[in-house]
Amino acid sequence: MISLLQAMTANNADSLMLRDGKIYLVMTVVSIILVGLFIYVASIDKKISKMENGAKD
Amino acid sequence: MLKAKWWKVLSFFLLLYTCTYGFIVKVPKLDDRMRESIRNMFFHVPMWFGMMILFFVSLFYAIKYLRSGNPVHDVYSYAYASMGLVFGILGIITGAFWANYQWGSPWVGDPKQNGAAIALLIYFAYFVLRGSLIDTEKRARLSAVYNIFSFFMLFPTLWILPRLTESLHPGGQGSEGNPGINGKDMSANMRTVFYPAVIGWTLLGVWMSTLNIRYQILKLKKEELL
Repeated sequence: MISLLQAMTANNADSLMLRDGKIYLVMTVVSIILVGLFIYVASIDKKISKMENGAKD
Repeated sequence: MLKAKWWKVLSFFLLLYTCTYGFIVKVPKLDDRMRESIRNMFFHVPMWFGMMILFFVSLFYAIKYLRSGNPVHDVYSYAYASMGLVFGILGIITGAFWANYQWGSPWVGDPKQNGAAIALLIYFAYFVLRGSLIDTEKRARLSAVYNIFSFFMLFPTLWILPRLTESLHPGGQGSEGNPGINGKDMSANMRTVFYPAVIGWTLLGVWMSTLNIRYQILKLKKEELL
């Protein structure tokens, strides 16, 4: 897993992540956080939907 | 159960766009101090737009509650007010952080900073009021009335007084129009990120409010109050 990650970064490193003062690195970090937050909110949404369905029966 | 999902997906993509293109869109170089930090317009300012919209929805349901007496409307009003307060607190914290590097101190007593703090304190009292009443009907009715008062206090604190005096924020004395919508400091480029950011953050707030509403309604049903 780690070696895969290293291989991926090694391939992309010069092309994108290190360009323009590494701003794309920050962009990726923020995007990962955003995706994580949305997955969390969506999972709560799902749980509440399940409870609502249960309450009807 | 599929609860109309499209706007939740829209919120995700608008925010993903904001958090990616927002970092690379060309921004005007206003002065040596501002530099890239003008990109905070995509994060700090939408908190306030979102807060105002959420507080307005809360006001709408407060009035609806007073007309109907339906406890569900009180639940809506409460959930939107608390989400609006979260946005406001995030707005004031990010603002203080930005001010530290732009104006030299986290709190410089700028009229808009002070006004925002007062507006938030007025909304804090809404939750104090709710917490101090045990009778649910009385709590709903009194807090709905207070909600109307606190929303209209946004007019002087945020929308009128900071524009009548000199302000470090855009839109103070001597500048024309609404600082967020037609201020001169924002270029056309920035608007292509700014408006999606406002819509995206607001939709996220609405989504989280609806989660709270659905949870509160389930709770009321369990306690057989509904």
